Amino acid sequence: MISPDESAELRALHGLTKLARDTVQRPTSAELERGLNLLYARTTARKVRRTKLMRWSLAALAAALCLGLGIRLTSVWRGPRAEPPALAYRVEGGSVLAGGYLRDAGEGGVRLFFNEGTRVKLLPGARGRVRAVDKEGTRIVLDQGVASFDVARSKERRWLVEAGPFSVAVKGTFFTVSWDPPSERFELRLEHGSVVVSGPIASGDIELRAGQRLVVNLPKAETLITEERADATAATSNSGPSPTNQDAGSAAPALTADRAPGNAAPDASSTATASGGSKVEHKASWVEHLAHGHWNRILEEVESRGIETTLETAPSEDLFALADAARYRRRTDLARAALLAQRRRFPSAPRSLDALFLLGRVEESHDRARAITWYDQYLERAATGGYAAEAWGRKMVLTNELKGRAVAQPIAVEYLRRFPKGSYAGAARALCDQP
Amino acid sequence: MSKRHSQVSLSLVVGTNRRDVSDLDLARGLAAGESWAIGVTWHRFAPMVLSMAERALGSRSDAEDLAQDVFLNIFHKAKTLREPEKLRSFVYSFAVFGVRSELRRRKLRGWLSIWTPEALPELSHRSVDVESRDLLRRFYGLLDRLSARDRLVFSLKELESMTIEEVAEVMDISVSTVKRSLSHAMSRLSRWIMADPGLADVFDTGRWQR
Repeated sequence: MISPDESAELRALHGLTKLARDTVQRPTSAELERGLNLLYARTTARKVRRTKLMRWSLAALAAALCLGLGIRLTSVWRGPRAEPPALAYRVEGGSVLAGGYLRDAGEGGVRLFFNEGTRVKLLPGARGRVRAVDKEGTRIVLDQGVASFDVARSKERRWLVEAGPFSVAVKGTFFTVSWDPPSERFELRLEHGSVVVSGPIASGDIELRAGQRLVVNLPKAETLITEERADATAATSNSGPSPTNQDAGSAAPALTADRAPGNAAPDASSTATASGGSKVEHKASWVEHLAHGHWNRILEEVESRGIETTLETAPSEDLFALADAARYRRRTDLARAALLAQRRRFPSAPRSLDALFLLGRVEESHDRARAITWYDQYLERAATGGYAAEAWGRKMVLTNELKGRAVAQPIAVEYLRRFPKGSYAGAARALCDQP
Repeated sequence: MSKRHSQVSLSLVVGTNRRDVSDLDLARGLAAGESWAIGVTWHRFAPMVLSMAERALGSRSDAEDLAQDVFLNIFHKAKTLREPEKLRSFVYSFAVFGVRSELRRRKLRGWLSIWTPEALPELSHRSVDVESRDLLRRFYGLLDRLSARDRLVFSLKELESMTIEEVAEVMDISVSTVKRSLSHAMSRLSRWIMADPGLADVFDTGRWQR
């Protein structure tokens, strides 16, 4: 309890103590299950290894002590390591205010250039802060909007990007992050290098590799990892270019900028529909709205045009934008209708296959058996598609929930055979390990 | 080829819900090496161990690692439990012992300077904003400067809201030692906070409302 008679430091100490006490929350059932599975695995492994460990422990301990002492002596003998040069940066297109707030001076967004080669760009409309720049590394906070990072490799320094409740630990990479506070949607697109994303994700910290895209939707508790390059391959193997191709082929900052109206190339099926000038104009606008997280604007435009009219006249790209916006705003009926319209009106378009997978995602909250059917249809038609890993994983999870472990185990085995390092590999192994 | 069927009649056996067993029966199950006891023990006590360890260490991942070690040790040494009805205290003592060992290991690693300790503790991020995380990082940075015993006493008393006597019992030290450690930790933390204006006045300026 904080008393007004206490000194400032005691009040601060009590405040910090209370904050630390209240921050830690009870582990979720998913975390407990994961921990228990690990415990089972370790219990089994421990029995097997106990004898060997006893034999080798004494020798290993002696060796480790000798090694540690040797390294310590070596480090003392060599003297202190040279400090890395101080980190500094300059700002273009804006200024840094008190507290590290980045203020945009014009329309081009704020750009930061660090002396070790790192470049950061906050796209127009984004708000961020430079929280710390010191010899250990740099911390950038993205309060809202989209920012791209080109981080120079360094062994001495650590880069941390924070966006809402998410933290991205970085070492030499190129990626784009977006965070929309009202809808609590986080997105990260990794062009090259690797990052570790931590935050309120059920499966724990996620390590992303080059070409992957992570989307977390907190209100819906959805985490989606897609292979951007795999998408491109799958789409190419069908016919002609597609919007997915456009996404995959573009550079990481393309989350917003490269989706500008002039750059958006419609696919074969949507070109025919979007022959009218007005349609082309609103198409680009919806994609841009989606990239900025302005989902309500899309829904408002649909309401004003009329849902039926939109579903019958909108080009393929817009139907996908509408489906995404409706899913993020929990308008599952509208999302389902948009995806079904996509399937009905553009049956030969490559993205119609994606619609099968997304229909499964939409259906999960209403009819899980139906969702499994959609995933089966997707896997039947696009066994190597961009969403194949996710479809197998979701099918495995839903089957386990609906029909039990025995039925889900063969799916888990198949998942591990196809995607041994996939994002559902841990859950699949847990299923397979159970008797 | 004709198959021969067994004539033994089958009956449906309804299994008991193991999660409702008493601590006494659970401890006996562990001592007997019953496989069901592992899952029940984990589900009953893991939330307590994980929360306490995360608050004391300031790291979710370290707390998870520690919980694994704690429960493995409990399963290994369940036969040595003299009073099976005190299984909860047994588990908590193991957890406290584990936290103390981890804190000592961190100090040792810092001394050896071979493995540089994490500059930024990995706290649980659920529902915590950027400013809170920043404050917590700095707070746990100060806790890292305390000795392992002072820090553990402070954590159990202030973060776990235990009494002095309970802290003394669970740490197996005297009440006077607990009081001395607590006083030492509080005075040092207050001094360090006073030296950091960003921390000393954050709860005075009205910026911080919780």
